[in-house]
Amino acid sequence: MQKLTRPIAASVLTLAAVIALAACGSSNSSSTATTSSSAASSATTSSSSTGGSSSGVATVVAGTFPQSLDPSIDFTTQGGEVHWLTYLGPYSFAHASGTAGTQIIPAIATTMPTVSDGGKTYTFTIRKGLTYSNGAPVKASDLTFGIERALKLGWSAASFLTSTIEGAAAYSKGTAKTVSGITTNDATGQTTIHLVSPYGAFLDVLAVPGVSYMPATTPMKPEPNNPPVGFGPYVIKNVVPNVSFELVKNPSYTSQAIPGIPAGHLNVNVKIESNTTTEASDVLNNTADVFDWGDTIPPALIQQVSGLSSRFKAVQTNKTFYWFLNVSEKPFSNQLAREAVQIAVDRPALARLGSGALVPGCYLLPPQMTGHPTGPCPYGIDPNSSPDVAKAKQLVQQSGMAGQPVTVWAENRQPRLEWAENYAATLNAIGFKATLKTIADADYFSTIETLKNHPQTGFADWQQDFPNPTDFYQNLVDGRAIVPVGNSNYEEVNDPHIQTTLDHLYPVPAAQIATVASQWQALDTYVTQKAYVVPYGYLSSPEFVSTRVNFGALVFSPLEGNDFSSLQFK
Amino acid sequence: MSATGSTPASVIEESLPHQGWPASDGEELPPGIGPYKLAWRRLKRNKVALAFGGLFLAIVILCLLAPVYANDIAHTGPNQENVDTALNAFGLPKGPTWHAHYFLGADNVGRDVAVRLLYGGRTSLQIGAEATLITIVFATLLALLAGYFRGPLDGLISRAFELIWAYPVYLLGIALGVVLAISGLDLGFVKLSGNSTQIPAIIIGLIYIPYVGKAVRGQIITLREREFIDAARQQGLGHMRIMFSEILPNVASTLIVFIPLIMANAILTEAGLSFLGAGVRPPNASWGTMISDGINLLPAAVHTMLVPGIMLVLCVLGINVFGDGVRDALDPRAKIRIEH
Repeated sequence: MQKLTRPIAASVLTLAAVIALAACGSSNSSSTATTSSSAASSATTSSSSTGGSSSGVATVVAGTFPQSLDPSIDFTTQGGEVHWLTYLGPYSFAHASGTAGTQIIPAIATTMPTVSDGGKTYTFTIRKGLTYSNGAPVKASDLTFGIERALKLGWSAASFLTSTIEGAAAYSKGTAKTVSGITTNDATGQTTIHLVSPYGAFLDVLAVPGVSYMPATTPMKPEPNNPPVGFGPYVIKNVVPNVSFELVKNPSYTSQAIPGIPAGHLNVNVKIESNTTTEASDVLNNTADVFDWGDTIPPALIQQVSGLSSRFKAVQTNKTFYWFLNVSEKPFSNQLAREAVQIAVDRPALARLGSGALVPGCYLLPPQMTGHPTGPCPYGIDPNSSPDVAKAKQLVQQSGMAGQPVTVWAENRQPRLEWAENYAATLNAIGFKATLKTIADADYFSTIETLKNHPQTGFADWQQDFPNPTDFYQNLVDGRAIVPVGNSNYEEVNDPHIQTTLDHLYPVPAAQIATVASQWQALDTYVTQKAYVVPYGYLSSPEFVSTRVNFGALVFSPLEGNDFSSLQFK
Repeated sequence: MSATGSTPASVIEESLPHQGWPASDGEELPPGIGPYKLAWRRLKRNKVALAFGGLFLAIVILCLLAPVYANDIAHTGPNQENVDTALNAFGLPKGPTWHAHYFLGADNVGRDVAVRLLYGGRTSLQIGAEATLITIVFATLLALLAGYFRGPLDGLISRAFELIWAYPVYLLGIALGVVLAISGLDLGFVKLSGNSTQIPAIIIGLIYIPYVGKAVRGQIITLREREFIDAARQQGLGHMRIMFSEILPNVASTLIVFIPLIMANAILTEAGLSFLGAGVRPPNASWGTMISDGINLLPAAVHTMLVPGIMLVLCVLGINVFGDGVRDALDPRAKIRIEH
């Protein structure tokens, strides 16, 4: 029997190790109130009157690290919710839940801009006496620098700037030394921005995290691990790449707090937990305080979590999940092949795999967005029924693309990997030879956004940055958005009809967007018919916290998710 | 195993391997019996080792019969998803049933766990066998070159062994696995795509070369000073002949002992790397990927992790106990083993 002891012990230890590996990460989340900070007071914070604890450290668990903690690069939901509080631009979005959270408010600018020259010139003045977290004064010209840095470093939403601001495209290409369309006066704080042509959503662009003020001494190179100095209620500190970082209250902000942008109550420790089950368990068991809104509560816990009405709420946000089909190479250069995919995708199955949080759909623009088509899906698709695989198979045969190898790019985390597996199986079922290429979550988007990789097809999603269909179209299907680095037009689609229509729709002022809703609907229907993208649903976002968080006081922005500055303990 | 659970394996050579075929304590060698026959006699007396060897053999046969089970009994493939009927509205898979289809339940995307278990076993065993072959062949060749020729060549090979040895097994495996998964492997004469199961086999095979190579090299250094090697040289035999005809047979028993040990470790390493996303790529099944898929469903669907976990334990247990038996049969004094 002695002979058996060692191998048996080794095997039992192996199983134990596997189980321990599975559980790793769940034991070291700490959210004890170890740091005390002065009670922050913000004149306008919506949550300050609720009487929660105004000191301590809240632990946020997120499934993936932001693409970059440098705001001049990142354009992800994980990055946005951080940069929203750390790098203010001239304008920002109101810190409020629901549709009130889409309202634009002046941030570093004193008032809303003066728009002249038929919508081509924006003029505003910045607040006087503001200082960055390092004590340096905030100057009007710092916005020019911030924009130039974003263009130089390949900000993922650079097309917002290159296609709108005069000289931005030339600067981005390296043919100009500065962005000629922006003029500033540091003495008076006046800033004037000249646009190439009227652009209705430009004020929204000026409120997006990434368009921010930065001292001109900031290095013109990516600084993800030692993020640049900025102006905002929080400062990013102690970055451990792909593991954790901290949002520490900016001590100098309280005295210069901007109306509508609260100073915050708690410091925030963001920890990465790539296993969503562990991530959700941490919050469920109160070893962490906030579940990342960009993740999905896993099937194993959704029934338990959804019963906790005092800690959990599913919020429907404008977020579309879709498969991109790269039209620059076979087989998706062929319309019939793309059509086949549009028809074959099993949307009800994908909804199930998404813990039931995915509402099946077929259009790029989400249901609550102006321009979402109200008619039935093209090609007889019923998003709530099983797809017509036989018809799709026939189309693949007709296209002459049967047997073509297809690489499906996907992230590793749940349920995105499960979705991709289902999608690859669908492609195989209709006649392609599909294989999965999974990329680590933190590297996924920077990989597929590198043009030279030419990803054939794969996972993509888009969460609204502002309530305007321009946000989706500018980045995802506008041919002018195709750039070597930070390319969000994964399909590499450059369709003249789309360009012409967009040229007509872009100038419409945000306030009048409803007047052209039917034109957006027609365009969205056209894109679905052309099957450049294959949308399969709209995911609700989880607002899920520990028992010690004051859930009632937590602001959930429809644009930036959990507003960490509103976090309070009971 | 270290506290982190990810430290490299290390060869523990508690006593130098033998030269020749010793008897165990108190055992008298029968006259005229060959060493392998003697070993077989000893192994036959070790019923526990044979039982676990039988267990391993049964697992291998079951896995080889995977297509028969899939086509004729379960009527589904290893990657065939059935989301509509196998998952509930929240995405939770059904548990084990008494039906041929979903006998062991469904996994996270509605695939038959029993079918994937058998196909996953094929993958795990195949990778384990290929990795073992790579390790044994390359370790033997390099050890022969280093131990026999000594000098600068020995220095070079030994430093290379130490370089690989210095890296934690799983860190090196993850680093190679992630890089090769994206770019694939193109050596000119061989081209493998990123999701080929040969890639983890090659990675694991390479990682374990020093663990065998160093031990065998030590043995060869001792052997090359023996009289029979001097005699072979005096007879004018060439280096190749001496290495492969005189030395290699004398290290064969050590290599035989290493085979099950390396195989067990290769299977475990594959499971570990696949669990961490750096081994077998989805949707291919292996016991490691199945455990990884199942983890996300704990605690609601325990079967998705438990079933491949138990199979992995039984398989490794079978190889290890049988391997110990083989070692005792070949050389009762040797205590070569690999520890994690």
